[in-house]
Amino acid sequence: MPPTPLSLPQGTLDLLILRTLAAGASHGYAIARTIEETTDDALRIEEGSLYPALHRMQQRRWISAEWRQSELGKKVKIYALTTRGRAELRARVDDWGQLTDAVGKVLRMG
Amino acid sequence: MPDDPRRPRPSTLPPAGGDVDAELEFHLEMQTRRFVAQGLSPDAARRQARERLGDVARVREACAAIDLSGEAPMTARAWLAGWRYDVRDAWRALRRAPLHAFACAATLAVAIGATAAMFTVFNAVLLARLPYRHADRLVMVWNSYGASLPQAAVSAPEFADLLDAPRAFDALAAITVQPVGLGGACGGGADCAPERVTSYVASAGLFDVLGVAPALGAGFHERGAPAEGTEVVLTDALWRRRYGSDPAIVGRAVRLDGRVVTVVGVMPPGIRFPDAPLGFLREPADLWVAYDWTLGRSGSRGDQNLAVVARLREGLGIADARAELDRREAQFTAAFPGRYAGEARQWSLMAVPVLEQMVGDVRTALVVLFGAVGLVLLIACANVANLSLARAASRRRDIAVRAALGAGRARLVRQVFTEALLLASAGGVAGFGLATAGLAALKALDPGIPRLAAASIDLRVLLFGLALVAGTAVLAGLLPAWRLSGTTPRGALQDGGARGSGHSAIATTLRRGLVVVEVTLAVVVLVGAGLLMRSLSALTAAPTGVDGRETVTFQVTPPSSSYENGERLRELHTRLVERLGALPGVRGVSAISPMPLAGGGWSGSFFIPGLEVPEGQPEPHAEFSAVLPGAFQALGISMLEGRDFTAFDTTGAPGVVVVDQRLADKYWPGRSAIGQRLDTDGRLDPSEATVIGVVRHIHRAGPRDDGEPQIYLPLRQYTLRTVYFTLGVDGDPAPVRTSLRAAIDDVDAGLPITDVRTMAERRGRLFSPDRFNAFVLSLFAGVALLLAVVGLSAVLASLVTERRREIGIRLALGGRPAGVVRRVIGEGLATAMVGIAIGLGAAMVLSRGLAGLLFGVTATDAGTYLAIGLLLLGTAAVASWIPARRATRVNPVEVLQA
Repeated sequence: MPPTPLSLPQGTLDLLILRTLAAGASHGYAIARTIEETTDDALRIEEGSLYPALHRMQQRRWISAEWRQSELGKKVKIYALTTRGRAELRARVDDWGQLTDAVGKVLRMG
Repeated sequence: MPDDPRRPRPSTLPPAGGDVDAELEFHLEMQTRRFVAQGLSPDAARRQARERLGDVARVREACAAIDLSGEAPMTARAWLAGWRYDVRDAWRALRRAPLHAFACAATLAVAIGATAAMFTVFNAVLLARLPYRHADRLVMVWNSYGASLPQAAVSAPEFADLLDAPRAFDALAAITVQPVGLGGACGGGADCAPERVTSYVASAGLFDVLGVAPALGAGFHERGAPAEGTEVVLTDALWRRRYGSDPAIVGRAVRLDGRVVTVVGVMPPGIRFPDAPLGFLREPADLWVAYDWTLGRSGSRGDQNLAVVARLREGLGIADARAELDRREAQFTAAFPGRYAGEARQWSLMAVPVLEQMVGDVRTALVVLFGAVGLVLLIACANVANLSLARAASRRRDIAVRAALGAGRARLVRQVFTEALLLASAGGVAGFGLATAGLAALKALDPGIPRLAAASIDLRVLLFGLALVAGTAVLAGLLPAWRLSGTTPRGALQDGGARGSGHSAIATTLRRGLVVVEVTLAVVVLVGAGLLMRSLSALTAAPTGVDGRETVTFQVTPPSSSYENGERLRELHTRLVERLGALPGVRGVSAISPMPLAGGGWSGSFFIPGLEVPEGQPEPHAEFSAVLPGAFQALGISMLEGRDFTAFDTTGAPGVVVVDQRLADKYWPGRSAIGQRLDTDGRLDPSEATVIGVVRHIHRAGPRDDGEPQIYLPLRQYTLRTVYFTLGVDGDPAPVRTSLRAAIDDVDAGLPITDVRTMAERRGRLFSPDRFNAFVLSLFAGVALLLAVVGLSAVLASLVTERRREIGIRLALGGRPAGVVRRVIGEGLATAMVGIAIGLGAAMVLSRGLAGLLFGVTATDAGTYLAIGLLLLGTAAVASWIPARRATRVNPVEVLQA
C-alpha cells in the first residue's frame, strides 16, 4: 500500500503537463501515468482537472492536439508541445526554481 | 440548469462534445484495464476508474466550454470539420422558418439568375475574343465624311495606295459582299439546286490577315491570286449543309452564279468573317471568293465598295494606325486635291478595332443593362439582409445560449454567414436555372445583338456565378453577423429577446437604412426604364415617311449567268410584275432599291446645271433610290407635286427623276421643282434629267436617321441587279406570302428570293433593339420596385410589433386608430422619401450613360423623374398601409396584460 499521495499546489499541474510533454507527444492517460510513475506514485494527478487543463492549454496554444489510432484500435487524442508551450515551460521552470529557493530559505532560517 | 426549458436540445450542443466523449472514454478504458491487470474484477475496475476521474459529466462540460470559447487554435481541417455542424444547424434553422428561407432564396435566385444571364451575354458579346489568332491587332479602315457619313467604304485605288509600304500595318485585305446563287444552270444532281448564299469577294490574303487557316485544303493561293475569282473557300456550315461534310470537296468544281469555280478550302467551324455586322458587311459569310482588288488600281476613286481590314504590326496600337492614316490623308490630299481637300468635305481616313466595330453599337445598351442588373442584385442583398435582421431579433435568444455556452465571436459570425451562404447557394442553383431559361428566351427574342448566338454558360460564367454566390452571401450576411456577434448572453437572456428596446432600436435604424438604400437603387433603375420607355414610344410614334403596313416585300438578286445585262433584268422585272400582280388579293406590284427601313443605303453626289458651288463647299449630295412605277404608293410615300414614273419612263425615253421635298426646297426655294433639270452624275444616260415629281422626305434607316435630300431614279432607266419587290395587298398578307414562291417559279423556277417581310414587320425590326432594351430594363425595374416595397413593408411591420405596447397604451388612453395609421404611414413615407430624393439625384448623374440610347427625350427629362418619384411615393404609401392596418388591431387589454 503506497503512502497517501501528496496533493498538488495550485498551478503546478500545468507545469507538470508541459514538462511531461517536453519528453514527447502523449495522450491524457499516459501523461497522468507518467507523472505518477516518475514520482513513484507520490504525486496523484487529479484526473478531473487534467482534461480541462489540457483543453485550456490547447486554447492558449501551448500544446497542439491531433487524433491518432491507439493501441486499443480506437482513436486517441495525442497532445504535443508547441514552440509557445516550450517557452512557457522554460519560464515556469525558472519561476519554480526561484519559488522553491525562496521557500526553502524561509523554512531553513534561524 | 438541467431543468431550464430554454436549454437547447442535445443535438444543437456544440460539436466538441463528441470529441471530448471519445477522449474521456479512452482514458476510462485504459484505467479500467490497469485495474483489471492489478486483479480487480472488470466491474470494480470500471467503477474505480470512474471514481478517479470524478464527476465525468462536469469534466466533459468544462472541456466542451473551453473548446467553444472561441480562441481555438484550429487547423484548417478542424475548421472545416466544425463547419459541417454549422451547415447542419443553419439548415435546421432555415427549416424552422421555411417562409423566410423561401423568400430569401427566391429573391437571390431572381437576382443571381438575371445577373448571370446578363453576364453571359456581356461576356459573349463584349469580352469574348474573336476566333482569330490576330484578333487583338485587327482594325477596319474606312473613309469618313464627318457626322453625315462617318464610315464610308474604300475604293480599289485607295486600297492599292494603302497597301503601298504601310508602316503600322503588316498586312491588309479588302472584302466586299456579292450575293450570288450557288448551283443552278448545270446538268442535274443535288449540287444543281439553286440556293442564294452570302458570299464575299476578298483579297486572297484575308485569312492570313485574320490569322486562321482552313480546316480542309490549302486555302487561297497567296501569290498570283486568280483575278477572275475562280477559287472559293467554304464555311464549315455550308460544307455540312450542302455538301454533306464531303471530305473530298477540296479540288472539286462547283457552280457559283452559273460560273464554274474550284473549292480550295473549308474553314473551321465558327469562322464566318464577318461574324457580326462590320459596317455594310451585314451577314455572316457562307463562302469567300478570292479576287485581286489591286487590279482596280486605275479605276474610279469614287467607286467606293470595299471594306478594308488591316493587321497592326506586333506591339503597335490604334494610335499607330491613326498616325499611319494621317500620313495617307496627306498623300491622298496632295495627289487628288479635288477629291479629298476642303474643310467642308470633312474627309478623313479612320481606323476602328474590329471588335469595337462589331459590338460598338450595343456596348452602351449592354453596359446599361448589366449595370442595372447589378443594382437589382444589390437591392436583393439588402433585402435579404433586411429580412435576416428581422429574424435575428427573434433568434437572439438562441445565439445568446450559444454565447453562454462559450461560443466565441468568430464561431457566431461563421454560423450566421453559413446561413447566408446556404441561402445564396440555393439562390445560385435556382438562379442558374433561371439564367439558362432567360438566355434561351433572349436568343429566341433575337434582339439583333451581334455574337449573341454564341452566348452560352461557360467556365467563365460559372466562375462568375460562384463569385456572385459568395459575394451575395457576404453582402447579405454582413450586417446580421455584425449585429449578432455583439450579442452578450446576459443582455439577450435577461430581456428575453422580444421586448429589448435598446437593441431593437438599433436594429430598426439599421434596417431603415437598408430600405433607404433599396429605394435609392430602385429609383435609379426605374428612372432608366422610364426613360427608355418614353424613348421607345417616341420612336414608334415618330413618322418615317414610309407606310404601307400590309405591303409584302422581298429581295431578289437574279444570277448574272441567266440575266447578263440590263435588258434581261428589265424583262424579268416586267414578267415578275405581271405574274405577281395576277395573284389574288394583290393590288399592285412595284420594286425599289434600296429597301427603306431595311438598313441599306446608297448616296452620292449630283449637280444642278448652272449652280456654281463655291470653292471649298461640298458638292450637292443626296440619297439615291431606283424604283418601278407604283413604289411610292405601295410604301405610302406621299406624292406632293407632279407625277409618279410610268411604264414609258424607260431606256430611250427622256431621263426623269423624282426628288424629295428637302431637295426641292433646298435648290429651288419658292419655285416649283417640276420641270427643273438635275445632273445625275452619270447615273442616267444622258446624265441630265427632268424633275417630274416631288415626294415627302423619308427616314430610310428609321426615325434616328435624319437622312440627306433624296433622288429617285426610274429602275427602267437605271437598272440594278438586287431589288426589293413590293406587293400591295388587300386584307390579310398571309395567303399572298404562301403563294409567292409558286408564282415566282412560274417566271423562273428556282430564282432565289430572300428577306420576305411585310412593311409592318420591317418597322417592328427597326425598333427591336430599343424594344429589347426597354423591356429588359423594365423587367429589372419591376423586380427592384417589388423588392424595395417588400423591404419597406417588412421594416414597418416589425416597427409595429415592437411598439405594440406603446400603441396599445395610446389606444387604451383613447387614441384614435386613424392617428396610429397616420403615424405608421408617415414613418414609411419618410423613409421612402429619403431614398427617393437620393435616388433621383443619383439617377441625374447615372442616366448620362443612357443618353446614347434615347430618342426624343433627354436623360434628365423632368416628367420621367417626377413620374418615378410619384410612383414610388404611391407604392410606399400602399406598402405602409398594410402594417399600419395591423397596428390598429392591437388589443390594448392583451398587450397591457402581457
